[in-house]
Amino acid sequence: MGTVTWMLMLSLGAGPAKEWPGDDVPLPLAVRTPEDLAFKVVAERSYLEFNLMASGKLAYDRGDMATAADRFERLLSLKDLSPDVALVVRPLAEDARRRAGGSRVAAPEGSVPAQPQAPKPVLASVRGLIAGGGDLGPGGTVVWLTRTDAPSPRPRGVERTVFQRGKQFIPRILAVPVGSTVHFRNDDEVFHNVFSLTRPNDFDLGLYRSGESRDKTFRTPGPVNLLCNIHSSMVGYVYVVDTPYYAQADASGSWSVRNVPFGEYQLRAWHESSVEPVKRSISVKAETVNVPQLTVNSDRPPVTFVPDKAGKPRQTQLGY
Amino acid sequence: MTRALLPCLLAALPVLAQPAVPESEGSEPLGYTPPQATRSPFRISGYVDVGWANATGNGSSFVPGDTRVPADYYVDPFAPAVNSRGDVASIDSGGRFVNGFLPTTVGSGGNGTFLLNVASLDLQVSPSGLPVLVFVRAQALPRWNGNGSETRFVLQQAFGRVSPVSSQELSISAGRFDSVFGIEYLENESNLRLGITPSLIARYSTGHPLGIKVFYRFQLPSIQSAISINAAATNHGSQVESLQVETLSFTGVPVGSARLGYELSLLGTELKLGISGLYGPRNDQADPGVIQKQLGFDARVFVGPVSVWGEYVSLREDPASAPPKPTGTGIYTIASGFKVHGFYLQLAYALPVHDRVLSGASVYGRYDRRKGGFDGTPQLLTSRWTVGGRIELWSVLQLKAEVLFNRENAGAPTVDNDVFTTSAVFSF
Repeated sequence: MGTVTWMLMLSLGAGPAKEWPGDDVPLPLAVRTPEDLAFKVVAERSYLEFNLMASGKLAYDRGDMATAADRFERLLSLKDLSPDVALVVRPLAEDARRRAGGSRVAAPEGSVPAQPQAPKPVLASVRGLIAGGGDLGPGGTVVWLTRTDAPSPRPRGVERTVFQRGKQFIPRILAVPVGSTVHFRNDDEVFHNVFSLTRPNDFDLGLYRSGESRDKTFRTPGPVNLLCNIHSSMVGYVYVVDTPYYAQADASGSWSVRNVPFGEYQLRAWHESSVEPVKRSISVKAETVNVPQLTVNSDRPPVTFVPDKAGKPRQTQLGY
Repeated sequence: MTRALLPCLLAALPVLAQPAVPESEGSEPLGYTPPQATRSPFRISGYVDVGWANATGNGSSFVPGDTRVPADYYVDPFAPAVNSRGDVASIDSGGRFVNGFLPTTVGSGGNGTFLLNVASLDLQVSPSGLPVLVFVRAQALPRWNGNGSETRFVLQQAFGRVSPVSSQELSISAGRFDSVFGIEYLENESNLRLGITPSLIARYSTGHPLGIKVFYRFQLPSIQSAISINAAATNHGSQVESLQVETLSFTGVPVGSARLGYELSLLGTELKLGISGLYGPRNDQADPGVIQKQLGFDARVFVGPVSVWGEYVSLREDPASAPPKPTGTGIYTIASGFKVHGFYLQLAYALPVHDRVLSGASVYGRYDRRKGGFDGTPQLLTSRWTVGGRIELWSVLQLKAEVLFNRENAGAPTVDNDVFTTSAVFSF
């Protein structure tokens, strides 16, 4: 009987299932690319959770409280378990444990000990401090990590919003992974426009009134200078990164990237006053990696004039 | 079976504990906006413009042996400008009578020379949270050559601007500001101008009058367009400082000027059209009944790397009821009527360079044509071909070079007055 059939039976309450058949884990999914690996990790994680839930519930239903407690406790011990799952499992686990005699059931013959040693951590938190940035300070610096000992996984696009409020882009600097869509929402009473002359991410969202929003999906890594064709004082940036491991420094320059797999990385940091990002090689092989302070360049010449859509310089003191 | 698989399941736990494609879960940045307190309300910028120029002939456009007076037109219409201020190489009339219609000069004659054209400093103050802007542009124009105009220190602009209605594109400025007439004032400064020298009609539209101006723009989003009005009431008209004394009003009656504009803005393509008008007392007369009238049309088209600018100006000044005629270069005796009209057409191509060092490059050409004269004197028709190129280095240094071929088409003898000029503009 296939797993799917069992799932259906469970969901429909069909049949007095006596045992959970289980299945082979790791799953026989081919891994040829980093994307394959990512897919397999997700599938196996989901599969494990489901198996522990289902087999625990079947054991509970047939009165095998020791097995039920064991399955549920294993499930509850999984890192980053969904709160929804924990919410429904915990009462059953506690009841099963109480009815099983209040002590953990010995591991079945041939199995690993009931309380395995804590797994060696493979995900790290990488953090550090940015200095420099000239008069603007280090705040907003975009920090990202790309693997040098293996292909970096492809990031998932996200959705973010940049508000046009008080004739400013808020946030002024936004880091997003490749494939992300940014909503530009006009929160002012006047018309706004968003355009960029930064190739190849150049775009123009046209004019739109208060309360309206226009979207742009960024598919190429790099900085994108945001401008408004009506208000020459409006300047902002989207920085598109080609990695899932990225962060932005706060006003004090602090930054951190969590859930970084162990490995070798190139760290880059870009600030709006930088022509090029600063780079540093780092090794991630501990749960917490503190990167020595980085100083971002402030070598970009100050912007004397802001271009309009045609690239012609505008003087901010003229007109509106 | 399940029991047999448990070791596998447990062995897989460490790996399975990883999130799918970790993407900085819980630490994804939502962007950064600097605190208001870190934004300085002050902004200082500016530029220094140095160059080298060489005019052919004696640099003046006065024709030896031509004794007609006034001799101004043998300088003015030919106007062999050598820099962005429109300074000419020489206004040496050889002792003949002139009547004040003269440009400023660097006094280099027919000699090639290095020039420190302008040192310009801008201060802009925009207090956070207030719809107010204060702007001051101070400039030094060192002219150490005794043959030329004197060294000048100019408070070229000084005004306050208020945008009183947050829901409207409306601003009101008071002080000394750019003219609202035409479009050449938009790139009147060296660091903005595509080329080096101003057009033959720039001297009628790029002055800096003192008064009040109102700008209003109405957006038409359905057609990616806007209509704007820029109107001013000022002590004097829009002529440059060499042609008028830009201080107190001579008459107590302001000069009104305005430009009505239409703009179509698409990415990489823009079309801008405008019509300008000016009406009021003549700049150099105390009688408010002596009128100056000016009309202009302008058009700009930008399509990708190609840009085309064109502008037409027509000016008519009534004869004065009484002399003298004070101008920016002195006080003169005859204040006759004057009329002029002219145009320019400029074509530019931006080369596809976007290097960190070589941040931009363009080639351009411009054709100017002007016909003008005092009442009672021949109308002089002149034209000019200008060709040049520019490169931008590190986005802060512009290097430009251009050649001006000045032609006397009618009403005056031909004179050797072509110019080769260069400019290096450092911006900060």
